[in-house]
Amino acid sequence: MRNVAVIGCGQTKHSGKRRDVNLAEMVGDAVWNALEDAGVAPEEVDAFTVGNMQGFGGVAQPEQWLAEWIGASGKPVLRITTGGSTGASVVHGAYYAVASGLYDIAVATGWEKHSDSKEPGATTGLTHVGLGNTVNQVNCGASLRHLLSMMIVGAAAGVACYQAMYYMHRSGCRIEHLDMVAAKDRRNAAKNKYAHLQWPGCTPEDIARTELVAYPFRFGHICPASDGASALVLASEDVARKRCPKPVWIRGLAAYSDEENQIMSEGGGGIGILDASQQVGATMSAIKAYRMAGIKDPRKEIDLAELYQPFPSQELIFAERIGLFEEGKAWMALERGETDIDGRMPCDVSGGVNATNAIGSSALQRILECALQIRGKAEEHQVPKEVHHAVATAWGGATNYFAVTVLSDSL
Amino acid sequence: MPYIKEKRKETLSLEGNWEISASTTWKDSPLLQEYALGLKEKKIIGSLCPGCGKVIVPPRNICGRCHRRMDERAEVSDIGTVTCFVISAPFEKGKMKLFGVDPVDLGLVKEGERVISVYVKFDGADSNVDTELVGAKPEEVYVGMRVKAVWAENRGGKLSDLEAVEPLKE
Amino acid sequence: MSSPSKIVLTRAPLPVVAGFRWSVGEMMERFIKALAERRILGVRCPQCGYVYVPPRWRCGRCYAPPGEENIAELSGKGTLLSYTAAAVEIDGAGNFKELSSPKTLGAIKLEGAGSTIFMPLGEVKPGDLKVGMAVEVVWREETKGELADIKYFKPAKGSAEILSPKAPRRR
Repeated sequence: MRNVAVIGCGQTKHSGKRRDVNLAEMVGDAVWNALEDAGVAPEEVDAFTVGNMQGFGGVAQPEQWLAEWIGASGKPVLRITTGGSTGASVVHGAYYAVASGLYDIAVATGWEKHSDSKEPGATTGLTHVGLGNTVNQVNCGASLRHLLSMMIVGAAAGVACYQAMYYMHRSGCRIEHLDMVAAKDRRNAAKNKYAHLQWPGCTPEDIARTELVAYPFRFGHICPASDGASALVLASEDVARKRCPKPVWIRGLAAYSDEENQIMSEGGGGIGILDASQQVGATMSAIKAYRMAGIKDPRKEIDLAELYQPFPSQELIFAERIGLFEEGKAWMALERGETDIDGRMPCDVSGGVNATNAIGSSALQRILECALQIRGKAEEHQVPKEVHHAVATAWGGATNYFAVTVLSDSL
Repeated sequence: MPYIKEKRKETLSLEGNWEISASTTWKDSPLLQEYALGLKEKKIIGSLCPGCGKVIVPPRNICGRCHRRMDERAEVSDIGTVTCFVISAPFEKGKMKLFGVDPVDLGLVKEGERVISVYVKFDGADSNVDTELVGAKPEEVYVGMRVKAVWAENRGGKLSDLEAVEPLKE
Repeated sequence: MSSPSKIVLTRAPLPVVAGFRWSVGEMMERFIKALAERRILGVRCPQCGYVYVPPRWRCGRCYAPPGEENIAELSGKGTLLSYTAAAVEIDGAGNFKELSSPKTLGAIKLEGAGSTIFMPLGEVKPGDLKVGMAVEVVWREETKGELADIKYFKPAKGSAEILSPKAPRRR
């Protein structure tokens, strides 16, 4: 197996409505930006991996439309979708292509165009995902009132609401800490020219003033539905050393899928997981990825983390799960300022998924942001210290897919 | 909210509809129906895993962690513990639509009412049942609260036979 | 220990429709708006010379961006490269519908264009269609700046050569 490096990064501006472009133009934008950044001509790319949540934008097989728009004519294209962790799976797929020795240069791209759906946010996609379960429930005689009580969570955040409550009960974290995380994300996003929800100088009090949707989530805690695309160019060690002045090495990666962890399983059955914040998949994939990367003490060796956190509670939960903070103590580190842009363990200095969520692109952006920070190219949201090792996580599916990627400036 | 807004051109759109309800059918779930029939007799039934011994309520075919078939059934108590809860904002007319209808208009919920959605682990089960808590104010709910099932007066082998849970009076 | 005595299939209790509106981007918007003026636009790639109808933001062969300055109007006359006649249609729920008279569709290469467009054919019996025949556009009575402004293509008098090297008129 060969070593693989990130040699180019490309993004489009993410916003609530990118109606100035069609889907192919938007994804093309990101890919051409990445190719330009890498100094690679389209003819030199050997393989492409692409991914998004196709139902959400109403284009059933987007890779068929996109192929020649992203320079993939005559090249193999694989579409990979794994729910919210699509962006990371797409990068992992490109990694497999290059590490296997089969291809030298691979491009991974993820995107989402929510604004093509008439219903606000991700409702269209959720409709066709959740509809089967709802029909089943109604058929077995569920009352409308019961559907309503399920929807108040669904309307806000699905199982993330429950997950947050478990964590808050276990660890002593309070709603004020969720305000702090959300404010930090939107403040940081204002320094990231590609991010969506940019609120310069946002404070926890600003977030606390927003409306409560379903305890413990306020409107200001909830991630947006963004339009946008991002892409990475991966290359083998040979090519990277020749072509790239500062390649970012993918030292470790792992993915783990668990029992589905929504409110109920498909078909209405129960789920054998009592604590929705347990997320065994996160710990297992982190252990594997760190081992592969040669990281023995993540708390000391990891310089920066980009966690997949559509909701602020998840930044704290997943940071603990992947070993960056002691169990139940992440919210205390937050209070001490450790996760700030100039802190000991900066988390989501790009604004994270909480500020920018184009589903297919968001997990990819976590890996992309780590690469930018290691290269020192994050411009206004670059952390002041040197970044040698960074970790990016991805979460999705029926909240049961988890992927971890560890990047480093050296082999 | 003072987010930075950028102005982008709005180009023409082409429209299309996906008629999900017209073009899709779903297979019924016999397991969920079995569970619903149990509710008629005030029985809460789960499936038992021969591998890890977990009892999953409502029943499922395959254990999620050890992947064994769960053909055996086990009954759990109708008394349990609240493991998690979520409280809605006070309901207002026009705020939310449930399948295209307003729940306040429909009389499902009163104006200003807050719905308390709870995860309940009934004694003997290893999974949570998602239901509603009645008979308690939002401030009174806590993780660990002991609750008892509220059964519908007229039960017909439907999921709504288990109406909700209420605080257990010791 | 339960096995279903029969499989029951159900539909959703209420109508559920997911609506979409796909933004077309600037190049396609220019094409659609020009239809109101009874003009068919294409774009010529300055690098490889291929002409696309409708115009595109990036060439699919050499990947150069043609840019708005390379947009050109086409004559509306072309050659029929292929055609078919459909006897049935499909409705939105997967059912076949018999048509009272067959619908003809043709693959048409407009004069000066590299790419083909697929358009309905009218004022001609399916039996009279021939590959290679000259066709020309018939516009709707009242054009509104929509794709439906092109009503259909009909057999043209005079000839239009296949793979004409004639460059499109620039406006």
